[in-house]
Amino acid sequence: MNAITDSKLSEFCSQFSPSNIQGLQTLQSDAAAYLSKEVFPTTRNERFKYTRLQKLLNANFSPIETLSYEQISKYSIIKDVPTICVNGPQIFIPQQLISSVTISSIAESTLAFQSETYKDVFGAMNTLYASNGCSITINDNTTLNQPIQIIYLHSGGAHFYRNQLKFGKNAEAQIVLAHFSISNSIGFSHTHTQIEVGQDARIKLHKIQCCEEGHFDFNEERIFQDKQSNFEINTISLKGSFIRNDLSAQIQGEYAETRLNGAYLLNAQQHVANYTTIDHQVPNCESFETYKGLIDDHATAVFNGKVFVRQDAQKTNAFQSNANILLSENGSVNSKPELEIYADDVKCSHGSTTGQLDENALFYLKARGLSTKAAKSLLLQAFMDDVLQVFQPEQLHTFIFKVIATRFNWQIED
Amino acid sequence: MQTALVAVENLFLYNMSNYTENDLAKDLENQEYKFGFVTDIETETVPKGLNEEIIRLISTKKNEPEWLLTYRLKAFEIWKTMQEPEWAHVAYTKPDFQDIAYYAAPKQTKKYESWDDVDPELKETMSKLGISMEEQQRLTGVAVDFVMDSVSVATSFKAKLKELGIIFCSFSDAVQEYPELVQKYMGTVVPNTDNFYAALNSAVFTDGSFCYIPKGVRCPMELSTYFRINAGGTGQFERTLVVADEDAYVSYLEGCTAPQRDENQLHAAVVELIALKDAEIKYSTVQNWYPGDKNGKGGVFNFVTKRGLCEDRAKISWTQVETGSAVTWKYPSCILKGDHSIGEFYSVAVTNNMQQADTGTKMIHLGKNTKSTIISKGISAGKSQNSYRGLVQIHKGADNARNFSQCDSLLMTDVCGAHTFPYIECKNPSAKIEHEATTSKIGEDQLFYCMQRGISEEKAISLIVNGYCKEVLNQLPMEFAVEAQKLLAISLEGSVG
Repeated sequence: MNAITDSKLSEFCSQFSPSNIQGLQTLQSDAAAYLSKEVFPTTRNERFKYTRLQKLLNANFSPIETLSYEQISKYSIIKDVPTICVNGPQIFIPQQLISSVTISSIAESTLAFQSETYKDVFGAMNTLYASNGCSITINDNTTLNQPIQIIYLHSGGAHFYRNQLKFGKNAEAQIVLAHFSISNSIGFSHTHTQIEVGQDARIKLHKIQCCEEGHFDFNEERIFQDKQSNFEINTISLKGSFIRNDLSAQIQGEYAETRLNGAYLLNAQQHVANYTTIDHQVPNCESFETYKGLIDDHATAVFNGKVFVRQDAQKTNAFQSNANILLSENGSVNSKPELEIYADDVKCSHGSTTGQLDENALFYLKARGLSTKAAKSLLLQAFMDDVLQVFQPEQLHTFIFKVIATRFNWQIED
Repeated sequence: MQTALVAVENLFLYNMSNYTENDLAKDLENQEYKFGFVTDIETETVPKGLNEEIIRLISTKKNEPEWLLTYRLKAFEIWKTMQEPEWAHVAYTKPDFQDIAYYAAPKQTKKYESWDDVDPELKETMSKLGISMEEQQRLTGVAVDFVMDSVSVATSFKAKLKELGIIFCSFSDAVQEYPELVQKYMGTVVPNTDNFYAALNSAVFTDGSFCYIPKGVRCPMELSTYFRINAGGTGQFERTLVVADEDAYVSYLEGCTAPQRDENQLHAAVVELIALKDAEIKYSTVQNWYPGDKNGKGGVFNFVTKRGLCEDRAKISWTQVETGSAVTWKYPSCILKGDHSIGEFYSVAVTNNMQQADTGTKMIHLGKNTKSTIISKGISAGKSQNSYRGLVQIHKGADNARNFSQCDSLLMTDVCGAHTFPYIECKNPSAKIEHEATTSKIGEDQLFYCMQRGISEEKAISLIVNGYCKEVLNQLPMEFAVEAQKLLAISLEGSVG
C-alpha cells in the first residue's frame, strides 16, 4: 500500500486503525494512492480556502466514553420511532420493523459501496479508516409511515463513520440523521453517507447538526438518484464550533427531482462550511437548492455550491440560491455559487446575497409597538422561514425552534 | 426601447430570409480571422530565450535608467521562483519561455517629425486595421498611440494634449522624459511580485503607453492605443500606466490584433490605473487577437494583469469586448481604497471554435461607502469554453459597501461550455452584496414572441442577442463603437446584423 508522504497528514492518520468493514476493502487501494499524493489541507487548497485546520491538528481529543442505549436515545428528537444509536464503536440497532425494511450495522451490511473520486483527504481517510455506522435498506414499493432516526452521540475521540441508505423502487421514507456531542468532550467525527434512491422513490432526509463546542463535525453525503425519483435533503447546523458538509448528488435517471435545503445559524466562534455539488448527468431533470444563514459574533460561514450540467443533460432546470445576513462586525461570509454547464438547452441560474435586516421593515414593526429585540427576531425568523419550514415532522420542527430560540434569544410563539 | 429600434434598423441592411439559429452557429464557425495578415517590415529582434543577459540587453537598447534595470532584474528573480498558475478553467500547452524572443522592434526606430515621414507600409498596416491615422485625425479626433511589436511608432495630437499638460506617450519615452512620474507610480497597483505573468512582464516588458492627466483636467478626447503582434516567435509584453491626478478625467481605449500564425503567441501585459481623489478613468478594450483556426491551431495566449486603484471619490470603469485569443486569462480589477469610490466592470466575452476564456473581475472594497457594479455577458459558440470568474471582497472597514453583479451566459451550440465561478467574501455587516447568474440558450418563448409579431426568425435572434449585449456595448465611447463593430468580426452582432 502506498505510504503517505506528507508528515502532517501521516501524523493525523496514525491515530486511526484500518477499517474492519469488509465491503470497503476493494476501494482502499485507490484511497491509499490518493492520500499518498496529498498533503494535509491548508488554505492554499481551493476546498479549504476559508477553513483553517490547525485547530484540528492541535486538538487533544478526550477519551471516548462507553454509553448505554438509554444515555444515547435520550437525545432522540422524535419519540417512539425506530432509532439507531451510535457512539464510537458502539451501535444499537432497533428491532426489525417490517420485513421490507432491513437495518443493520455497516459491518454486517451486504450492500455494495459505490466507488468514488475523492475531493479531499477526509473522504479517502474514511474509506481507509471507517469503523462504524449503519445500513438501512427499504425494499421496493414500501411506504414508511414514520421516520427512521439515526442518532450519533459523540463522546470524544476521533472516528470515521459510514452509513448506507438504499431505497428501492417506488419507496417512500423519511430519515432523520442527527449529530450530538457530550458537553466538554473534544472529538472529531467524519460521517460518510451513501444514499441510493431507486426509481420513482420519494425520499426525505433531515440532517440535524447539534454538537457542543469542541467537536469537529465533518459530513459527506453521496447521493445517487434513479429516474423519476424525488429526493430532498435538509441540512441544519444548529450548534457546533466546527462543521463541514460536503454533499454531492449524482442524478443518473431522467425526470428526477432533487431539492437541497440548508440553514445555518451561527454565533460565537462557529465555523460552518457547506460544499454542495449537483451533477446533472441525464436530460429532463430539475434541481432546487436554497441555503440561508445568519452570522453573528465571530462566526464564519462558507458556502460553495456547484451545479454541473453535462453535455447530455439537455432540458435541465437548475436553480440555486444562497442568502446571508451578517449581524456582526467580526463575522464573515464567503459565498461561491458555481455553474459549470456543457449543455445548451438548459435553464440554470444562481443568486447570492449578503446583507442585513431592512431598516424600513424594522421601523415598521417598532412603530407598531414591538421592541427592537422582538422586531429583529421576527424579521430573522421570516428570513429563515423557507429553509426552516422544510423540517416537517412536528417534533423535529419544535426541537429546532427551541434550540434556535435559546441560542439567539428569539421570541417564538408556539 | 431605443436599443431595440437601432437593432431593428440594422437588420434591414441584411437580407437573410431563412436564417436560423443553426445557420448563425455555422456562420460563426466558418468566420475566418480578418486581421490575419503579416506586415513585411524589417524588425530587429534579440535572440530567443530568457536570462539576465537578455533583460540587460533590452534595458540597454532602451537606454533605461539604473532603477528600472534593478526593477526588471528583481522581477526576474521573483519570477524564477514562481509557478505558472493552473487554477483557471482552461487547458493549453504551456509556452516555452526560452523559445520566445523578448524584443522585436520595427527597425526604423527614428522618431517621425510628422505623419508624412511614417513608413508607408506601416501606414498600410494601420489602415488594414481600420485605424488609418489620417482618417482618425480628421474625422474622430482620437489621439492614437500605436504599438506594433513592442515599440510605439507614432502618436498624434500630442501638441494639443501638451497644452493642457496631459502626457500621453509611449512607455519608453515616459521613462526618458518623466522618470520621476514613472518611478513613483509604476508597480504600485500591480507589484512585480503579483503573479507569474505580471512578474514576467515586469522583467521583460518592451514598451507600452503612459498617460498622465494633471489635476483638474478633463481630457478633451479619447486616448487610444493599438497593440499588434507582428513578428513570429515574439511575445508582446507591453505595459500601460494611466494616472489621473486629483479631479481629472480620462477615457482610454485599447484595441488589440495579431496576425495569423500557426504557433501560439504569448501576450502578457500589465495595465495599471491610478485614479487619485475625485478622478475618473474609463478604460475600454476591444480585444481581437488571432483566436487560432477552427481546429484550435495557433492563436494568442492572452494572460493579462489589469488593475486600478481608486482613491477617495474616484471612479474606475472597465469595459471590455473580448472576441479574440486562443486562451484568455484576464481579470481587470478595482481596488476601492478611498471612501465613496466606485468600480465598474462591463464585459462581453465571445468565444468560438476552440477558444477558451476565463475572464472576470475583482472588486476589492476597502474604503467606506464604496460601490461596485459587475455586468458580464458571455457568449459561447463552436466548441469553446467561456468562464466568468470574479471576486467581490468586502473588508472589515468597508462600511456600507454595495455590490451588484450580474453574469449571464448564452450557449449557441450543444458542445460548448459556459461556467460561472464567483467568489463573494464579506466581513462587514453593513455591506449589501447581490450576485446573480443565468445560463441558457436563446429562449424559444422569446423567439416565438418576436415571430408572432411578424419578425422573422433571423431578425428575432439578432434582436435578442443585440439586446443581450447592448448593456455593455452602450458603455463603449461613441468613437470606439464604430471601431468595435469592425473589430468584432466574429461577434454575433456583426454576423447577424
